[in-house]
Amino acid sequence: MRFSMLPKAFAQMFKKPWTNKFPAKYIPSNTTRFLEEVQAGKTKINPPIETPPGFRGKIQYDKEKCIGCQLCLKVCPSEAIEFKPEEKKIKIYLARCTFCSQCNDICPVSCLSMSNEFLLADTDPYSKNLIVE
Amino acid sequence: MTEGKILTTEEIVKYFTDEFKTKIIDVKIKKRSAGIKKNITPYIWMKIDKSAFKDIIKHLFTLHYPQLSVISGNDLGNTIELIYHFSINYGQRMNETILNISVDLPKSNPEIETICDYMPGALISEREKQEFLGVKIIGIPDKRRLFLPDEFPEGVYPWRRDETGPEKLYRNLHEAKK
Amino acid sequence: MSKATITKNNYQIPIGPVHPALKEPVFFEFELDGERIVDVNLKLGHVHRGIEWASRKRNPVQILYLAERICGICSYCHPIAFSLAVESAADIQVPERAEYLRVIHGEIERICSHILWAGVAAHEIGFDTVLYLSWQIREKTLDLTEFLTGNRVTKGITMIGGVRRDITPDMIPKIQETLKYLKDNFEKIRHIFLDDKTVKMRTKVCGILTKEDALKLCAVGPLARSSGVKKDVRVDSSYFAYGDLDIDYITPDILTGEINGDVYDRIIVRLLEIKQSIDLIEQCLDKLPAGPIVAEPKIPKLLAQLKKVNGEGVGRHEAPRGEVIHYVKLDGINEAPFSWKVRAPTYNNILPWIPMLKGQQIADIPIVAASTDPCMSCTNRVGIVKDGNMYEMNKEQLHKLSIEKTRRLML
Repeated sequence: MRFSMLPKAFAQMFKKPWTNKFPAKYIPSNTTRFLEEVQAGKTKINPPIETPPGFRGKIQYDKEKCIGCQLCLKVCPSEAIEFKPEEKKIKIYLARCTFCSQCNDICPVSCLSMSNEFLLADTDPYSKNLIVE
Repeated sequence: MTEGKILTTEEIVKYFTDEFKTKIIDVKIKKRSAGIKKNITPYIWMKIDKSAFKDIIKHLFTLHYPQLSVISGNDLGNTIELIYHFSINYGQRMNETILNISVDLPKSNPEIETICDYMPGALISEREKQEFLGVKIIGIPDKRRLFLPDEFPEGVYPWRRDETGPEKLYRNLHEAKK
Repeated sequence: MSKATITKNNYQIPIGPVHPALKEPVFFEFELDGERIVDVNLKLGHVHRGIEWASRKRNPVQILYLAERICGICSYCHPIAFSLAVESAADIQVPERAEYLRVIHGEIERICSHILWAGVAAHEIGFDTVLYLSWQIREKTLDLTEFLTGNRVTKGITMIGGVRRDITPDMIPKIQETLKYLKDNFEKIRHIFLDDKTVKMRTKVCGILTKEDALKLCAVGPLARSSGVKKDVRVDSSYFAYGDLDIDYITPDILTGEINGDVYDRIIVRLLEIKQSIDLIEQCLDKLPAGPIVAEPKIPKLLAQLKKVNGEGVGRHEAPRGEVIHYVKLDGINEAPFSWKVRAPTYNNILPWIPMLKGQQIADIPIVAASTDPCMSCTNRVGIVKDGNMYEMNKEQLHKLSIEKTRRLML
């Protein structure tokens, strides 16, 4: 039969759209001004969809528990972890991290874990937000 | 290319060794089992002599029209080893046998015949071996490069580990500095 | 312009690497006689990334994540085929629960990939509303993947000897809810694709691949099955838990009773495979055995064990596009493998393009090429990338031609 999509396309006009409108309903014409307005409290950002538990976001490092065994350096596929020999602790560069969480699995004292933070865009790959130590 | 009856793994090996005796240098059969019922998948690894290569392939095609999965290559110092991964007896539940035929070519004269007259689908694999390992395939219908760009220098073979390898073309790779 | 002799020549049109009709770069050169295609010539190699070379300095656990990034859609089948090859070389026995879990993840990936293909095929004909509907259904499946593995695309769930995460009993209601949603909506998609008159007009008797050509050119996957060749790694050989499950080859004569080998048959095969995948996941959830999920949980011990292995292995898996095969050789001295060869399924499905496209019109090129479900990222991974490729940006309005043909046929 012809036009088999027409009834469904018609019905969609009356339903709520499937897309979640994050961060705003329409693209702001000037992003910097939009962010200033958000900080001043004039407009609000629509929240993104909730992440499930077990989501692999930004890595979190518990410095006191770390024993300096260097096992996480051996399994990182992109060599994003650096060892600091004088303190025997590590430094993780998020600009190279692939978020595979293999370092979490191998750590013998479980000092690494993944949070659910994923909004990590930055202009400088070595800025403070993107280095975990 | 007759259908014939389905042979078991040992019968397939016997079919080849009866015909070619000394040309088959080594045969290994490996069986892997999987799942709760532990059904078996057999793998046959055969090492053959280069002089009988085309006859052995012809003999294989009389058994069942195989599927050529890929041709892989290794650089072993003085020889280049080509492995042809075939699989036969597909079409019925859990009947397939995987046959890996490996041929050694000396580096002074790396030539081998083509199998494109029996199986036109082998063209892409053979073209890839020509440009990456420097193997010369006699009788291939299409000699052009496949993956490498035309500006790539002649005589440099990226998969080799000797002086014709691509060391001069590295730039700024941290793996190269390790 | 000399008027002495007027000869009839064939035109040659290059359709360069970057063009709107196909999603990934590949270079075609068509020889045309009016609107009909006479000959096809193609060149690959535009997305070489040197992945197999990058594996020479990495140990097998790191290579799992390198293999995952070969392709976005096939991001589960490459690490799993690599793991099968290493397990075959090192004689590692995988526990039974892990094998059933691997089947579940593989079938979820197959559902996502086939629904994506259905949307892309509809877009090539010009049917954009179906693209949005099918991708809306796919979003639910991706949410399920994120819940089970932690990420939508690069799943990171494979480990040599098993899987990394378990499916606990409190996760099972969410899986069953998603399967119920898929089963309810499957009928919608099936009705649109297989009963719609426009789709039938565009896809029947178009891009035919005969059974002899499919056998001789070593076609794999749904492309071979839609031409009548019964090849499916899950049914032919026993790996993971497929030996215990109830599964059969899917060919178009299950639905229509005859095999033509055209684009319509390929739509039938892929839609029926979605239904088969839902059924397989339900069978697995019923029969899931208890036990460990990985053969060797301590990774330093696993790496030390693999360092001593001297052998070679082959791993094959049925990806959504066909058969994936990896060959690994471990030499017992270094941690990194001696050699690693990847063969993605699109590699074998490129040669059948030539007999399929001869005799067709230009406006049929997008739908015929899209019906083989090409994934060029998988195909080009070998060698070293050298700058110096010249890309041809051309204004071929291939996609627009395809839509205009649909409108012409409808009126």
